[in-house]
Amino acid sequence: MNKIAVMTSQELGESTFTTTLSNGLEVYICKKPGFSKKIGMFGTKYGSVDNDFVDITTNKRTKVPDGIAHFLEHKLFEKEGANALDLFSKMGVSSNAYTSFDQTVYFFETSEKFDESIAMLVKLIKEPYFTDENVQKEQGIIGQEISMYDDDPNFMVYFNALRAMYNQNPVRIDIAGTIESISHITKELLYTCYNTFYSPQNMFFIVVGDVDVEHTISLIEENLKKYENNSIPKNKIEKFRVEEDKKIEQKEIVQKMDIYLPQLCIGYKLDLVDGKEILKNEIMVNIISDMYFSKQSDFFEKEYNSGKVNDSIDMQYEGSDSFSHVIISTLSINIDEVEKDILEYIEQIKNMPVDEELFETIKKKKIGEAILSSDNLNVSYRRIIDSILNKTDVYYQIEALKNITKEDIKEFLGKLGKENQVSSKIIAK
Amino acid sequence: MRIYKINDKKFKSIYISYNFTLEVNDNKIFSSYAVLGSLMAKSSNKYPTQKDIEKYLNSLYGANFDVNIEKLGDLYNLEFRIEFVNREFIPSKEELLDKILDFLEEMIYNPLDWTQDSINREKDFILQRINERKDEKLKYGIQRAEELLCKGEPFGTYLYGEADVVKKLELKDIKQAYNELINQCITVIVSGNLDGYDNIDNKISKVFNEHDKNTSVIEDLKYNVKLQENYKYEEVKEVQDTTQSVLALGLRINNCTPQDFYALNVYNAILGTTPSSKLFQNVREKESLAYTVRSRYYRFKDIIVIYAGINKENYKKALEVIRKQLDDMRRGNITDIEFKSARDSLLADLLEWRDSKVAMAKMKLSNLIAFKDESITIEQMRDGIRNVTMQDVVNMANKVEIEKVFLLGGEVNE
Repeated sequence: MNKIAVMTSQELGESTFTTTLSNGLEVYICKKPGFSKKIGMFGTKYGSVDNDFVDITTNKRTKVPDGIAHFLEHKLFEKEGANALDLFSKMGVSSNAYTSFDQTVYFFETSEKFDESIAMLVKLIKEPYFTDENVQKEQGIIGQEISMYDDDPNFMVYFNALRAMYNQNPVRIDIAGTIESISHITKELLYTCYNTFYSPQNMFFIVVGDVDVEHTISLIEENLKKYENNSIPKNKIEKFRVEEDKKIEQKEIVQKMDIYLPQLCIGYKLDLVDGKEILKNEIMVNIISDMYFSKQSDFFEKEYNSGKVNDSIDMQYEGSDSFSHVIISTLSINIDEVEKDILEYIEQIKNMPVDEELFETIKKKKIGEAILSSDNLNVSYRRIIDSILNKTDVYYQIEALKNITKEDIKEFLGKLGKENQVSSKIIAK
Repeated sequence: MRIYKINDKKFKSIYISYNFTLEVNDNKIFSSYAVLGSLMAKSSNKYPTQKDIEKYLNSLYGANFDVNIEKLGDLYNLEFRIEFVNREFIPSKEELLDKILDFLEEMIYNPLDWTQDSINREKDFILQRINERKDEKLKYGIQRAEELLCKGEPFGTYLYGEADVVKKLELKDIKQAYNELINQCITVIVSGNLDGYDNIDNKISKVFNEHDKNTSVIEDLKYNVKLQENYKYEEVKEVQDTTQSVLALGLRINNCTPQDFYALNVYNAILGTTPSSKLFQNVREKESLAYTVRSRYYRFKDIIVIYAGINKENYKKALEVIRKQLDDMRRGNITDIEFKSARDSLLADLLEWRDSKVAMAKMKLSNLIAFKDESITIEQMRDGIRNVTMQDVVNMANKVEIEKVFLLGGEVNE
């Protein structure tokens, strides 16, 4: 019997059960009594930035084409010509998959076909099936997906901000790659990536919903046992990261598109920090965003009343073992002026004392927000994934929220230096 | 005023949806009501600015408040909604309900004394909404197909109105719109964890009844106005400088009755809402013509819109493949697997609605309008889907035809 650990958040009235199976796979089950929907996710700690590594089968260092993790996601979610989305859909189950910088996740959502869905998900991931023909066909579909993003100003303004901040880091490159780069993908390369990154020790299984914990664990274990013969060598994964300069790549990127409303992303490139700090930074920046940029701030009121900003100004932190930055984003017909106002304002608040009362109100709001958000199952799995990638307890962020002080806020603001700052703009043609 | 409660103790919060619903006699109201809704979301007499509102909401454990405008078929709906934590889950067990109701009353019935300046600011906000709509290509393509199908009907008007009308709005127009609004039919839906809140409906009545001057009920409102003289075949192309083009097709469902609702849902699911659907399988999987391809059924308007992101060189090919799917369905060319997976996916969706307070409130309102029946349960709706036969779906297929073809994204070489 597997040893099961429980983590509980008093604030959320929610518990997550975890265990590690004998093959090394970590399983997380977040119990949500009363909910109809059950979500199952099978993921790997492998994403678009992992493009230089030691091939686990040959022990040779390998560089793979940009976009291959995403390509692999498409191909793995397929079985002998049938799309996995379709296989699930035939059972009345919805499913999907996504690839980000540092993870690839496959998931289903079901109310009544939970056991069958677990079996299907395991089967898909454990039985890769790549042929020259199906690789070629996928290049067409992914080509359409890349074109779709090229027309999306939201997406472009964000990616250009990353390109301005980083000079070497593969976060500069679209997760899906380019039409050119994906043309170099072959079935052999897909097997290389699969064998290297889809071993149980590098993967995780998450279930959220009203399920029986022990039954779910044995269900996952039994299904995995069916595929033990095609198990992958258990060598340690060795990835190579490019040396990234502390300096930004370029101060500004401006792109023209056929749009009406221009978009702005201001980025601050920061020093890399460990997993706990990443999660703490995320919350701190959420608090800063609410204190200084949300609708209750004097700054927003001023920008709104002057007609420069209509919707919102948002600030968020993103971090991993290879990047760390803050992004402030907004839309405005008068993008250059808003940019100037924000940059001046950041310099101002760095030197201002942090308002005690405001800080406490926002913390109270954040606790309320966390409780409200626990009515949504998606929030539970995102929290678990964050904790896996950052190697923290599942409810670490809630604890961190309670412990953040106004001195922490002040200190963090001090890190937003002019020399690390970039701007990305999408303007009308 | 009628108040409906939907209790589910798995939630930790309560959602109140306070709806004003009206028939649209003049499509110009879209413009004035959009400005009005925007003003009311951002100000009241006691809380004159967004800042004041946000600060107060923060003190209520981050309660969420907003004003939502939408079209329910040809009806206009302006909704005040607020979500707050059930006291049981607040660390201090503080009761928020009375404060929440007072706040809601304040926001609706004690508006700020607006000036022409404050009106002008919100006019600019709405004008931006109108001007930026082309920035989201797929969404814009879908809206254009809806507008072509429902030209002249309220549903065929853009939700935020028309720029020319918005520009001319004056203070008195907005005041007039407000006075009209508060005399419209009111429906209140409370959804979420109501344990310990047995008398929430009485409390709501006590606060709001004195304001309600309207005796009509939402079931009596006419949600589908048909201007049949516009119902003819049309192809429209709009140039836009983009990498990808959007193809949006407007489909009319002829001789539709309210009883067709379930069969049309199954028809639409087989056609294009799931990965097993004909559009996904043929347009995307077999022909690699699109990454996104779907169909959407509009319950109140008896229309369907099919949309796809394509390369413009593939325009004719895509149209041909889509037409073939519609023909196949008319001829009963539907496999048992296609039928069953569509049905199962609808059954699962209905169950999953129960996981959302907002979805449950929306369902209640929609069923009141379309079925004129508030008592319909999710289980009854699931039975409705279960009872649909293959023949019902083929019958529906023969009622459906492509009436509008819209292509966004560059000139097509023919």
